[in-house]
Amino acid sequence: MAFARLANGNEGPVRVIEGQGTKLSRTMHGIAYDAVHDEIIVPVHLAGAVLVFRASASGEEAPVRVIQGPHTRILRPETVNVDVKNNEIVVGEDVGQDVLFFPRDANGDVAPLRMIRGEKTGLDEVRGVAVDPIRNLLVVSSRSGKGTTGVFVFNRSDNGDVAPRAVIAGPKSGIIRIRQVEVDPDEGKIFVAVKNNTESYKFADASPSPWNPDKPGFIGVWDINDNGDVPPRGVIKGPASEMVWPAGVALNPGDREVYTIDSVSNGMYSYYMPEFFPAKKQ
Amino acid sequence: MRERQTAWLMSIGAAALFIAGCFNLLFRGTAWIFPSRSQASIGADDPVDADDSCADTTELAMAMTAWRQTQQRRTLIASAAGADGTGIQTAPAGGDIAPARSVADAYPSLHSVAVDPDANQVAVSDSNRGAIFFYNRSAGGNSAQMANPERVIRGPRTGMMFVAGISLDTADREIFAVNNDIGDRMEVFPYDTEGNIKPKRVLSVPHGAWGVALNPVRKEVAVSIEHPNTVVVYRHEASGSEAPLRVLRGPETELADPHGIVIDPGHNEMLVANHGNWAPLTREEEETPAGLRGGHFAMPSINTYGVEAKGDAKPTRKIQGAQTQLNWPMGLSLDAAHDEIAVANYGTNSILVFRRNAEGNVAPVRVIKGERTGVLGPMGVAIDAKNDELWVTNYREHTAVVFARTANGNVAPKRVLRNAPAGTPAVGFGNPGAIAYDSKRGQILVPN
Repeated sequence: MAFARLANGNEGPVRVIEGQGTKLSRTMHGIAYDAVHDEIIVPVHLAGAVLVFRASASGEEAPVRVIQGPHTRILRPETVNVDVKNNEIVVGEDVGQDVLFFPRDANGDVAPLRMIRGEKTGLDEVRGVAVDPIRNLLVVSSRSGKGTTGVFVFNRSDNGDVAPRAVIAGPKSGIIRIRQVEVDPDEGKIFVAVKNNTESYKFADASPSPWNPDKPGFIGVWDINDNGDVPPRGVIKGPASEMVWPAGVALNPGDREVYTIDSVSNGMYSYYMPEFFPAKKQ
Repeated sequence: MRERQTAWLMSIGAAALFIAGCFNLLFRGTAWIFPSRSQASIGADDPVDADDSCADTTELAMAMTAWRQTQQRRTLIASAAGADGTGIQTAPAGGDIAPARSVADAYPSLHSVAVDPDANQVAVSDSNRGAIFFYNRSAGGNSAQMANPERVIRGPRTGMMFVAGISLDTADREIFAVNNDIGDRMEVFPYDTEGNIKPKRVLSVPHGAWGVALNPVRKEVAVSIEHPNTVVVYRHEASGSEAPLRVLRGPETELADPHGIVIDPGHNEMLVANHGNWAPLTREEEETPAGLRGGHFAMPSINTYGVEAKGDAKPTRKIQGAQTQLNWPMGLSLDAAHDEIAVANYGTNSILVFRRNAEGNVAPVRVIKGERTGVLGPMGVAIDAKNDELWVTNYREHTAVVFARTANGNVAPKRVLRNAPAGTPAVGFGNPGAIAYDSKRGQILVPN
C-alpha cells in the first residue's frame, strides 16, 4: 500500500498493489525502495521469494523480476534492502537464520553472490538488513530466544560463517525484541525499530492481557561505530509518540522525517526529527 | 547527574501510568463510535473495570502532562550534554515526540462473518481493533447511517489481537475465534457475552491461523494455518496447550497458504481455500533426496479432503484453474441445503459460487461482481439458507453487504451494514511489519 507522505488521520492508501497476479501474500515483513532504478523490493515469506515491482505499480500488476527457487538458497525471506552503490539486493531470513546477497537485477532461480550464515555469525531470526555503502558495512537486526537479540554489524563483503565486527545488545540498549533497521550513511547512524513485544497473555490471571505495558517499543538511533551494551543516542519513545510496538522504520532525510509502522495500533506515524539529521539543510 | 536521574525516574513512573491507560484506550478509544450496550455495561457490571483508574481521563491527562514535562527536561539536559564539546550525549536525543502525522483507522476492519439464522444473529470479526461484533440479522439498510451492534466483545482480557476467522456453534451457543500472525490462540466465548471479558476457554494454536470450522457431528474444530501449510483438528472442548487430534500437512496435501475452511458433516468432507504460496518451513524440509527444493507459486484452489484426513493425505478433489476465477480466495461458506459453496474472492472483488462437488478447472455457477455490488476486498462470506441470503464482509470498505442467496452478476445488495460513516476510507493495516519511503513520489510504502 502506498500512502501520501502527508497523509493524516483516517486516510486510505493512494494506490495498492494486490491480487493473485502480483504474487504477493500476507506476512511480508520487509520492503525497500530503490530510488535509483525506481523499483520496490518485497520478500514473500510464504513462497520463499523476493519480488521486484516497478515503483509506480498499481492494482494486479505482475512483478518485473522474481528471485525464487532452490539455487537461491532462500528459505523464508523475512526482510530485504537494496544497496544501489554496489548493485545488490540484500535478503534476511528468520527461519533461515542468514543474510543472502543477490545481484540487483537477479531474476529466477539464481545463486546468491554471498551468504552470511553459521554459528560464528550469532544470527538467529534476522528481522532487518541495511547497508552503509560509505563505510562498507552491513547492519543486521536479529532476534533470538536463546542467543543474542540485537544489532549485528558485519563487513559488507563478508561471506560464510564469519563473526560480526560489532554487536549492539544488552540491557542498556533497551533491545528486547527487534525488527526493521535502516542506515543513514551520511550521518553514520543506525535506526532500529525496537518492537519489544512479549507475549504476556496468561489465561489463569484474573485480568489477563496480551500487552505488556512495562516494555513499550521505541525507535532507537545508534552510531554506526557503536559496539556492546550501548544505550541509544537518540530515541522516539513514549505515550505522546503513540507507538506501542513499532515493527518498521524508514527515513526521509530530505524532510528530516522518520516513519514507523505499529503492528498493535495498526498505525503509521511520521515524526519531524531535525535533531536526527543535523547535516541536512532545509 | 542527580537531576538527570530524578528526571529519568519521574519519566519512568509517569510513563508506566500513562502507558497502562494507553493500552486501555487502544480498545476503548472507539467506544463513542459504537454506543452499544456493551460499552455501557462494562463499567456497570464489572467491578474491576469500575475501579480501573486508567479509564479516568483526568488522571490520564495528568499523567501525560507529567510525562511531557519530564521529557522536556530530559531534552534540555541532553542538549546541554551535547554542547560540552565532547560530542558525547549522556541522554538520548529525541524523546517522547508526538507524531507530526499519524494514519490509523478508528473504525473496525471487517474480517470474517458468521450467521445464526435461528437466533437472528450475525457475528463479524474486526482485525483492526481485535473485536467481535454481534448484529441483529436484519441490521443494515440502504441509508448512510451506521448500524449499531447488539453486543461487542473487545478488550485486553479477551486475548483477541489480529483476530481473523470466526465460527458459531449454534447448538452450544459458543463463538470460536482465531488470531492470525500475532497472538497464536483460539478464543471461545459464550454466545451471549459482551465487553472486555475473559474467554470461556483458550487454546494455543500454531502460528498463522486464519480460518476456523466446526464439525458438530464429530464435536471437533479445524483450524487452517498459513505458515506451515497445515490444517489442525482439535476436540471441540480443547483448551490450553492440548495437542490436536489430527494434523494434515505435507507435499501430497497440496495445502499452500490455506485460508478459508469449512466442514461438510453431511458428506464427511472438509474444504480449504488455498492462495498457492508454498515454501519449505525448515532447512530439513528444504532438503530432499533429489536435492534442495525452493518455494513456488501454485494456482489458487479449493481443496476437498475427507473429514478424517491426516498426515500427508491427498485432496479428494480440487477446484483449480483459469476458469474458476479464483484470485486470493479468502472465506468459504457451505450451503448444504442447495449443495453449493461460496468463496470470498478478494483479488477480483467478487463472490464466487460453485457446486459443492465441483472439480477441476470449472467456472462458478454464479458470480457477484461489479460496481453495483459494493463488494470491495471481500474477506468473509456466509450463506443463510433459512432466509435465502448471502453475507459478505468487506475489508477495503467499512461495510458488510447482504444479497439474495441466488444473486448473480452486477447486482445491488439488499442491505448495507455500515460500521463507519459512509465514505470513510478504510486504511487497511493488518499487523503491518515494515515500511519504506518512496522519495520520488513522496509516498510511504507499507506491505500488509
